[in-house]
Amino acid sequence: MFDDIDPRSPVPLYEQIAARVRVAVVAGEYTPGAALPSVRQLAASLRVNPATVVQAYRDLEREGFVEMRHGAGTFVQNVAPGLREAERMKQARELVRRMLAEAARLGIGVAELSRALAVESGVGE
Amino acid sequence: MSNAIEARGLNYRAGKTFEIRDMNLNVPAGSIYGYLGPNGSGKTTTIRLLLGMTKRISGDVTLLDHRSPDDLPAALAKIGYVPERPHLYPTLTVAEAMRFHAAFYPTWDAQWATRLLRVFELPHDRRIARLSKGETGKLMILLALAQRPELLILDEPTDGLDPMVRRDVLAAVIDYVGDTGATVFISSHLVHELERMCDWVGVLDKGRLVTEMPITQFKAGVKRIRLIGAPEQALGTPFELLSRVPEALSDGESWVVRGWDDPMREYFEARGAKIRDIVDLDLEEVFVEMLRNSRQGVTR
Repeated sequence: MFDDIDPRSPVPLYEQIAARVRVAVVAGEYTPGAALPSVRQLAASLRVNPATVVQAYRDLEREGFVEMRHGAGTFVQNVAPGLREAERMKQARELVRRMLAEAARLGIGVAELSRALAVESGVGE
Repeated sequence: MSNAIEARGLNYRAGKTFEIRDMNLNVPAGSIYGYLGPNGSGKTTTIRLLLGMTKRISGDVTLLDHRSPDDLPAALAKIGYVPERPHLYPTLTVAEAMRFHAAFYPTWDAQWATRLLRVFELPHDRRIARLSKGETGKLMILLALAQRPELLILDEPTDGLDPMVRRDVLAAVIDYVGDTGATVFISSHLVHELERMCDWVGVLDKGRLVTEMPITQFKAGVKRIRLIGAPEQALGTPFELLSRVPEALSDGESWVVRGWDDPMREYFEARGAKIRDIVDLDLEEVFVEMLRNSRQGVTR
């Protein structure tokens, strides 16, 4: 699940790692109580600085997605429904934002985009 | 100790063509410091100067709070060094090389050495002369790590190795850092390799340390901005201008800047310039622009 982190992206690595965990938690791929890989393990397998993983885990803890238990590891929290909703919405908006940026580059307008969205998702004509 | 390596006013000259002049280097304790520079920029020379293997003309060097050269032995006992070219005796077997190396280091961790031997899948009874390049590279890292150093100095440790070996070697280094919090000073011309693991970068060009900063700052808001009607003078920019060049196929200009933030569009709007496109740059491109800048200077 961490395979696609991209060191060339302008999004910092810790944010990319945190984002993967958020997605996994919200999608139910990680259930409450599940253990995340240890900092040392994940850092070595991604070949990133251990401090980067620590920062990702700290951010996730602050947001209520995980709990870091000293000496024991990092565990997925029971995420409140409100937080889950908010996170899903955030991810949806992020997708749209990226699509809009790409469309703008190609000179495609919002009307054309929403028609394409309807066609591709099968709700339209 | 705030810096694991500190050099002040380091001077060195080799013939008429190469010199290191007044170099100040600061490698924070606990950092993974990427020492970047093109081939021939002086990376190996710097390392040899730091470790007292090449004699400097002047300057102060402190390694793990030990002054070099007076107190060098105490520092070297705590430093794992992987040179650019292996310095192993070709007639020894892997196991013999390990015993030989262990004899110099009271801190040698035999158990861990055995574990690394397994992880790296190294044949313990094979002679060094008969090891592949990748196996030799892994053995060098094993020797440096099993002595449990406080500071690892790696001179292009993955140069010429295949991607699998490279991955194994770097993973072992990071695993060690995760366990001990040791400082790593790693030189390379492979920018992407360092991009993911370093938290500090130093950029070297022609014997000059062009820049030294946390990698987050190095990469922060680095963009290529394509402009039409770019202002002739780029004074008082709210961002740092790394380079500006005319575009090949249009009448526009391409600027590379650092510290960009979207509201800064206003700078161009106020000067009647039109932004065509803003593109994110990765570390390698920043590195290239930085060298270009340091060699030619930016026309402002």
